[in-house]
Amino acid sequence: MSNGSMTVRENSDVTVIEVQDDLGSYVASDLRENLEDLLGSKTQKIIVNLGSVQHINSTGVGAIVGAAKRIRQRGGDVKVCGLADNIKRTFDLTGASSVVEIYESESSAISAF
Amino acid sequence: MGQEHIEIHLPSRLWYIEPVLAFLKQLAQQIGFCQQRIADIQLAIDEICGNAIEHGSEGDDKGIAISIDVNDHQLDILVRDKGTRDRGSWLTAEKLEEISQRRAPDRERGHGIYMVEELSDEVKMEPNSFGGTDVRVRFSLSTDEQRRRDTNPSNKPDD
Repeated sequence: MSNGSMTVRENSDVTVIEVQDDLGSYVASDLRENLEDLLGSKTQKIIVNLGSVQHINSTGVGAIVGAAKRIRQRGGDVKVCGLADNIKRTFDLTGASSVVEIYESESSAISAF
Repeated sequence: MGQEHIEIHLPSRLWYIEPVLAFLKQLAQQIGFCQQRIADIQLAIDEICGNAIEHGSEGDDKGIAISIDVNDHQLDILVRDKGTRDRGSWLTAEKLEEISQRRAPDRERGHGIYMVEELSDEVKMEPNSFGGTDVRVRFSLSTDEQRRRDTNPSNKPDD
């Protein structure tokens, strides 16, 4: 499934959201909606692949943190991968690096489940 | 480049922030900021404009105003909203205290204004006479950036 700014696909029992646009205030709401949809399904394992993202703000990071908190309540998790240095910096500035597991590649994030 | 002044007025819609960030990127490149600092400028202005639209002008037609003063070594940016009909300025001592007390890594919101303080060289936030909020930020070229620009004429802004 794709809505232009992101693609949602299955990789065995893991659902991967691959974000293709920068995650400013506008696109961050798309990510939040996609994550909310997945939280409403039976999905337990979610990876947000940010490998194509050059910019993310606190709204985008907050959407990921919020989804991770909620899905953990039922035993699942949200992990992120592919962060460029300035994207990692935003995770560090918000403190999200200590809340969400970050992996270099999608394959290493999948292996970590 | 002498001192130049730029005014941008945006409707209160988040979609319009992205073109402003693209403009600021080009402007910052012309001045000689390095890539990391340009990313910082974009992130700070994204956070400030997002607050101004979501908390300071959403649901009305006042929009927000962005004033940019630029010269060959710094960018001064003012983002002004005129407040919402029911809430006025989103920046009050009580609200700041509440945000500060609730701030935690696992909170989804409330990080933006602290990030702006980290990302900019100077920041000043205050309620304005329109019933809204003014946020002023300054980004200055570091000594290294200035040296790099001055030794590479292709990066030098036109006079």
